[in-house]
Amino acid sequence: MKLENTKAQMRKGVLEYCILLVLDGKPLYASDIIKALKEAKMIVVEGTLYPLLTRLKNAGLLAYRWEESTQGPPRKYYELTDTGRKFLTELEGSWSELVKAVEKIKTNKA
Amino acid sequence: MKKTFTINISGTVFHIEEDAYEVLQKYLVNLKNHFGADEEGKEILSDIEARIAEIFSEKSDDEKKVVTLDWVNQVIETMGTPEDFAEEEGEEEEVYVTSPKRKRRLYRDPERRVLGGVCGGLGAYFNMDPVILRIIFVVLFFVTTGAALLAYIVLWIAVPKARTTAQRLEMRGEEATVKNIEKSIREEVNEVKESYRKFKNSDTYTKGKKSVEGAGDVTYNIFKLILKVAVIIIGIILILSGFFGLLGMISSLAIGQSFVQGWPLVWGPEIHFPDFFNYFVEPGTVTFGMIAVGLLAGIPLLAMLYIGSKLVFRYKSNNTAIGLSMVGVWLIALVSLVVVSASQLGNFKDQGSAVISNTLPCDSCQTYTLDMAEDKYENYAELDWDLNNLKAVVVNGEEVILGKPKLDVEKSGGETFVVSVKKSSRGRTRGEAREYASDIIYNYQVNDSTLLFDPWFLLEEDGKWRDQEVQITIKVPEGKAIHLSEEMIEIIYDIENVSNTWDGDMVGKTWEMKPEGLTMKELSESTEDRKELPENTEEL
Repeated sequence: MKLENTKAQMRKGVLEYCILLVLDGKPLYASDIIKALKEAKMIVVEGTLYPLLTRLKNAGLLAYRWEESTQGPPRKYYELTDTGRKFLTELEGSWSELVKAVEKIKTNKA
Repeated sequence: MKKTFTINISGTVFHIEEDAYEVLQKYLVNLKNHFGADEEGKEILSDIEARIAEIFSEKSDDEKKVVTLDWVNQVIETMGTPEDFAEEEGEEEEVYVTSPKRKRRLYRDPERRVLGGVCGGLGAYFNMDPVILRIIFVVLFFVTTGAALLAYIVLWIAVPKARTTAQRLEMRGEEATVKNIEKSIREEVNEVKESYRKFKNSDTYTKGKKSVEGAGDVTYNIFKLILKVAVIIIGIILILSGFFGLLGMISSLAIGQSFVQGWPLVWGPEIHFPDFFNYFVEPGTVTFGMIAVGLLAGIPLLAMLYIGSKLVFRYKSNNTAIGLSMVGVWLIALVSLVVVSASQLGNFKDQGSAVISNTLPCDSCQTYTLDMAEDKYENYAELDWDLNNLKAVVVNGEEVILGKPKLDVEKSGGETFVVSVKKSSRGRTRGEAREYASDIIYNYQVNDSTLLFDPWFLLEEDGKWRDQEVQITIKVPEGKAIHLSEEMIEIIYDIENVSNTWDGDMVGKTWEMKPEGLTMKELSESTEDRKELPENTEEL
């Protein structure tokens, strides 16, 4: 088992959660999402994001609209749908549970 | 100085240098292969293109206006290649990928190649060491006298090279080894069972209302499954027939010896073309005709091999040019063969004959016995074709064509027995035909009152078959008789007689020439002696 793979899988597991988090509250277009995720070191190559966005959109969690841009062609702005927001709340719950669980295991061990 | 192109990415126009263009083009095709051609894949790709356009626009805000190779490489690094995606997503890619799994396809492996990378690719497909496959191919090459090489070349041309990373991933796709074909079929069967079960348990079924949709689903699944299995079976059949057909063709064309006889799948022709043609056609045309026949039969066989392997290994290929030129070559071969055959027909245009009549010396003989001479050619090696009373044998290393003569009996005008031998043939002109006719060798012997006929006439060495015939006519004077030995059945042909007796019933009997025609002589004391004659000749 390669360390890189395990790391990648851990990241992948929370990537969708992170995307929803980033979009929570304000619509963003792809480059903004990328910037946020890259700063947090959640993704390495940008190409990974697009399939996820498309899938989340097709699953009804995200919606997008086109917005004119001052520079260049119109941009695709993504935002959370109602389902998406519910989904996010659920995920937040399970995320804190997960963190708690890991913490518990760690402290018990120590 | 560098050439630039103008391209449109996601609605923005860029100038791009030639080398950069090529790399970008390859990269995008690569991504397209990775994400697939469905709606989702298209959407992802257009999003990525929009992002690429954005990155380029940011860069060209400076005084530089042209996209360079450097930029493209940077973009590829930022966006990532399909390999990077796979890495980033971890090994268990399938967890998130809901789209159809990447199935293994056959490619040629440029990284493990000796000739064209066919064995390398097949090795990747079957999870085998390519070295083993190479050894198998080499052995097959010698065993099959080249058919394996042709198969290799077909695969070399037809199977695409794994150029992009996506293709290389597909080549080693975790799916579809031989075992997995079985697995996927089993999955398919389960799916069918599942949908049938669902259909059965569904309300519509229990309430007795037949749901067309549900039934359609089941039949669709069953149909899909049958189709899949059928495609693989057809593919395998095509591969095998194509391969063995080529084997048979090569062996019969090139070495004149049928390999395939006795093999479980026999497509080997019964006759060996070169030998066979030599008897009918001018030597120059033989080679030509053979090439034409080879192409005529070979191209469809190659096509069978190609389509079969494509069905089984599911590789993509785009060789329309080669396909079309094959069809063209095939048509040319067909036309030339027709033309050659037509020109050969000219050799049969005219007819000529030579007649030799002999009066038999024995005036006092009342009855002549007609019998067959010993078959001198019975024990010679016979070439395997035998058609229309014609056969070829090897005599002292020389091949000789033999033909069956025909014998008839008529009333003689005079007082004596006359044997006339009419040799006839066809040829380009009357003279040529006559020449062919007089070249026919035919002998009979007269021993006292017995006539011994050779069972075969001969065409001279290198003689060409021109529909040569030998017609023997025995002219019997009135009041005299002939006795036909049992063995004469071999050559007598439609002898007229008053009782309209069939040839087969005429032998072994004595026939007298009466004014009204040939009449069967009542059995008398003489029959006893006659009967012994055939046996005697046999012992000779």
